Amino acid sequence: MIKRLPMANTPKIPLARYMKEVKDSAKVPPMAVSAAAGISVRHPSAAAGFPRRISLDDWLAAAPQQITELTIPAGYHSAEPVLVTGPANGGGLLLIHVGAGAQVALQERWPSGGQTLGVGVQVDVAEDAHVDWLTYDSFQAKMVLVSRTAALADRATLNWTLAGFAQNSGATLINVNLRGTGAQATVNVGVLASGTQHVGYTTAMTNYGRKSKGHINQRGVIVGKAHLIFNGIGHIIKGARGSDNQQENRVLMLGQDSRGDADPILLIDENDVTAGHAASVTRVDQTQLYYLMSRGLPKALAQRLVIRGFLEAGLLEITDKDLKADLFKQIDETLVNPDGK
Amino acid sequence: MSTLEIKDLHVKVKAEPEHPEILKGVNLTINSGEIHALMGPNGNGKSTLAETLMGNPRYVVSQGDILVDGQSIVSMPVDERARLGFFLGMQYPAEINGVTNAEFIRAAINARRPDDDQIPIMTFLNQLDATMAQLKMPEDMADRYLNQGFSGGEKKRNEILQLMMIRPHWALLDEIDSGLDIDALRIVADGVNSMRGAAFASLIITHYERLLDYITPDVVHVMKDGRIIETGGPELAHTLEQTGYEHLKAGDGHD
Repeated sequence: MIKRLPMANTPKIPLARYMKEVKDSAKVPPMAVSAAAGISVRHPSAAAGFPRRISLDDWLAAAPQQITELTIPAGYHSAEPVLVTGPANGGGLLLIHVGAGAQVALQERWPSGGQTLGVGVQVDVAEDAHVDWLTYDSFQAKMVLVSRTAALADRATLNWTLAGFAQNSGATLINVNLRGTGAQATVNVGVLASGTQHVGYTTAMTNYGRKSKGHINQRGVIVGKAHLIFNGIGHIIKGARGSDNQQENRVLMLGQDSRGDADPILLIDENDVTAGHAASVTRVDQTQLYYLMSRGLPKALAQRLVIRGFLEAGLLEITDKDLKADLFKQIDETLVNPDGK
Repeated sequence: MSTLEIKDLHVKVKAEPEHPEILKGVNLTINSGEIHALMGPNGNGKSTLAETLMGNPRYVVSQGDILVDGQSIVSMPVDERARLGFFLGMQYPAEINGVTNAEFIRAAINARRPDDDQIPIMTFLNQLDATMAQLKMPEDMADRYLNQGFSGGEKKRNEILQLMMIRPHWALLDEIDSGLDIDALRIVADGVNSMRGAAFASLIITHYERLLDYITPDVVHVMKDGRIIETGGPELAHTLEQTGYEHLKAGDGHD
């Protein structure tokens, strides 16, 4: 019996059309995990543990889809990141349970190729736990649909950075549910869209718990003929008194044919709260370019520095030097060849 | 020895071609080794002259010419002029996130050098440290993002730091004294004075004589209504301090 689940709210993103595509059927290995002893890694055979809330979840969970399940025990404490890498040619499901009071750094990387991939991630953070989460999407596949959800219990905190430096078209849904009292999350998204990519990000932050705090910060650079859509949805549920929900969505367009959207949405069902949003779609700041060039920097280099600076605001939390250097290198290469590889 | 000649220069704002010219026939010659001061009331074209010499694309030359050793630079883009030796210390330098001060200054120096002869990193850092110490700038300003969150005074010092590191031939300094207290003014002036020499010339824009007490100009010009209406020696600045600009004849052009 298939129950019909609701569609996700993804303004301007043609999710229903994307879901008509058939996922790649090749059987691929599950995600590779590099984690310290004490962290349990399982590969359950059925997707039973993957929550189904919207119709996209069914699409993502449909076989063949490998499942990787990590359990970080309560009280776990390490700065050494747990590294999870997607398969070379396929998507997958990832479930992560973070136990009470744990402090963990997660790194999730997707360099995966293929035609049409689905990626589903669910991270549950128990009371008083703290998670630093770095997601690096560098998909080589043609089309990818991604849904990532984090749920935070009382006083849990999440600091999440997502670098979208991929080749694919499609949609990424990010949901952070601040379930517990005093839960806090920041989501930074930095996206570089190029070639003929058509990509949409819908990042939703929902306050259920009292005194919970959620911030969204999305930055996108668009070159060539690419189209990038940033939706930000801040939602404060009735009863979440004393909570705070802020978002910023900024898009920088470089190409004559680049297209960008930045759409903030605020849904406030409680009175005693603070919320705000900022959004902009702009071209390169001519004053900044002029300043750099007035010191002798050639235009191409000046432009690269301005763009790096703009994206940096979305990728500020990335302390991994190699990764940052890799991202900067990709920015430079993309600007030299804006119409894609 | 080099010569910068400004001949009958007329300038408009590019986006406002229907508006009257801001510069209405400026004539000025600066030789290597000379320091010129450009004074005059606000809104009379001093900054426009500096920006036009630098090559700000906001402005367009509608008549006249700018020559360096007889060669016109009017059609040369800003970055090429910079590499030719021009430098503009700006009133309101842009803030750029994600690019550190040190990284930027090194890129500016290297832009003037061939690819196979870039400045060695240690040489650069030693020079930077010494120059920052001379300007009494805290060390962490090298690693902060370019002008990001700098105070007004810090930005001015940072402009002079770049000037001293890049060592241009033609330094156009646009109100580098505004917003500086007397100690900072002295430090900045010392910085400019240390650049003096046969391969350096400067056009210093200021409202106040105060700066010229510390940097003695060879020539002082007064600009009003888009023209230079008076030129004299350093004593002209002192006279102006007492009499103001009001009594000087306005340009005889009509808008």
